[in-house]
Amino acid sequence: MKKIGIPRGLYYYKYYPFTKSFLTELGAEAVLSPETNKEILDIGSKYCIDDACLPVKVYHGHVYFLKDKVDHVLIPRFTSISAKEYICPKFGGLPEMVKYSIPMNNPIIDIEINLYKNKLNLYKSLFSLGNMLGANPIKIKRAINKAFKIHYAYKRDLLNGNLPAILIEDKKPVRIKTKSIIGIVSHPYLLYDSFINMNLLNKLSNRSIKFITPEMIDSQMIDNMCSELEKRIFWSGSKELIGSALYMMNIDKINGILLLTSFACGIDSLSLELIIRIANKTYNKPIMMLTIDEHTGEANFNTRLEAFMDLVERRQNIDNNLSPYGRSIYRSERNIR
Amino acid sequence: MGEAYIAVKGIFDNLGIESIIAPFTTEDTLRLGSRESPECVCLPFKITLGNYIRSIEAGANTIVITGSCGPCRFGYYGPLQKQILQDMGYNVDFIIIDPPKENPLDFLHSIKKLSNGKISRAIKSIYDAYKVCIEIDKLNEIQYYVRPRAKNKSIINNIMYNFRKVVLDAHGTKEIIEVIKATGNKLLSIPIDKNAKPLKIGIIGEIYTIIEPFSNLNVEERLGNMGAEIHRSMTIKHWAENNLIMPATGRKGYKMEKCLSKPYIPVLIGGHTQQCIGHAINYANLNYDGLVQIYPMTCMPEIVSRTILSQIEKDYNIPILYLIVDEQVGEAGYQTRLEAFVDYLKERKHNHKLN
Repeated sequence: MKKIGIPRGLYYYKYYPFTKSFLTELGAEAVLSPETNKEILDIGSKYCIDDACLPVKVYHGHVYFLKDKVDHVLIPRFTSISAKEYICPKFGGLPEMVKYSIPMNNPIIDIEINLYKNKLNLYKSLFSLGNMLGANPIKIKRAINKAFKIHYAYKRDLLNGNLPAILIEDKKPVRIKTKSIIGIVSHPYLLYDSFINMNLLNKLSNRSIKFITPEMIDSQMIDNMCSELEKRIFWSGSKELIGSALYMMNIDKINGILLLTSFACGIDSLSLELIIRIANKTYNKPIMMLTIDEHTGEANFNTRLEAFMDLVERRQNIDNNLSPYGRSIYRSERNIR
Repeated sequence: MGEAYIAVKGIFDNLGIESIIAPFTTEDTLRLGSRESPECVCLPFKITLGNYIRSIEAGANTIVITGSCGPCRFGYYGPLQKQILQDMGYNVDFIIIDPPKENPLDFLHSIKKLSNGKISRAIKSIYDAYKVCIEIDKLNEIQYYVRPRAKNKSIINNIMYNFRKVVLDAHGTKEIIEVIKATGNKLLSIPIDKNAKPLKIGIIGEIYTIIEPFSNLNVEERLGNMGAEIHRSMTIKHWAENNLIMPATGRKGYKMEKCLSKPYIPVLIGGHTQQCIGHAINYANLNYDGLVQIYPMTCMPEIVSRTILSQIEKDYNIPILYLIVDEQVGEAGYQTRLEAFVDYLKERKHNHKLN
């Protein structure tokens, strides 16, 4: 039985159930790297080139952890995950980035996931992966169907408000008394990795704040929201963020929006700026952007988060004229940022 | 963007539209642009935004920018810059020309809007502008050859600075081509040392930062003055050839680059990764002494290229200097690194000969 390593990073939070089901169905063993910890982050930033973003560095750390424990590490080349949209050039070049940065004994498996033109490409890649594992076409087809079924079920569960940690790792959901609801706009690999975001979700839960993530919003709704923009957004990740932020702004129940990004994230630099500029004009509730990288001190992070949570709670009780981000309370200075 | 302004000016002159070329980029322009830009965005965004503001102050009422829908951030420059300018209180017309395959009607519409309804004339003037690009490339190649060999480098500076002034006064592509040719002849008449064998350095990287001299702190001039003959991997002509002329005639662009880069990066991932890798290998095959990769901080495709280039460095035994530019780049540090690199290459070449 072949051991295939799956690094716990980047789109693991989106596609792990699919990958695991596909691999086990074809008689391979899926080996998962542990949750991100200090060691993995340090190794990742040591091997990865210095101006890559935090999630990519963490991914390198996970690959390093797996490389001698498995036969192959599976690093899919995500060029595009939905029609006429890309992800990020770093996802497309991920196998190369890893291959030339980390010395490895066993070859990695890089299959291309490219749905830019049509779905046929995905099947082709999956069949080639199946062939590599020595399965026959009928068995592969069956495995694909089963994996898709599990994937859709997983997506539905996410949509219903469950977290990947609960679905994949069987952790107990925390029951809290909800005082307020905030929306968090971020990529899954920052949001659900509790080490890199310094336990953000738990900190919110401890303060009785419920949160809504982009995965909990219907993709149809996101498409609708984005279609109001002047130019279509051609990054899937970015579209999710902008669409869900616009949706959250329209909902009265949501008391504030938290934007979480990693330093030097290429697509976020544009999309979050767009969100903030739109919010400056139309949104009257607290909105904050937090940037994290491998040097972030937890104390700073906590201070800002606490201030934000205080603001959210206070706004609910005493609704008055607090100045929202980026705008002066004096009318004459409104245009100066 | 580099010498593109000459060609673009030619197009508008031929169409009878008055164009305002933004004053040459300065520290001040960049500071103006980066103050209004998002923090982590790449350098070209900040420079172009600064340039727009400067041209609006000079009286422009329409801004023309090309767009794309590729994975590179460049594709979303237009909408966001428009938003920023609006927030700053400037009211200008923004024409974003997206590639025709995205929305053919929109494409035709913007061309029509630009050319006052004379599409055939627009196409003709684009072709004329292409001719200008060919001449600019020739002029640059003369400069690359002459600069390291010339005994008195200041004459070249003099001619080139003069050229930048004179070419703005020329009207239409015909006059522009004449000016360029005259400048080329002037450069050729400079006394040079014909027996000199200068170092050969190829410049690769992100297209904007290698074409626009301000963004890379005049790297071509600096290296030339240190006695290195350089070659720039991408030029406006090169871009136009591969992105406009060849697809229009049913051929595929960037054949050489794609073929050479295939073993390292098999698919298009966006930006100019394949081109960067392809050119690096091409230069290595042509026995260049070294390469300089230039890219703006946080450029997504070039970060991928850089990881691959470290492998090419070993495989082809060619030294590469990586230069990352943003608005905080310091001139002295830059100069030191270039000098050290050139010294290293000289020593390396010398040792090779001895062995």
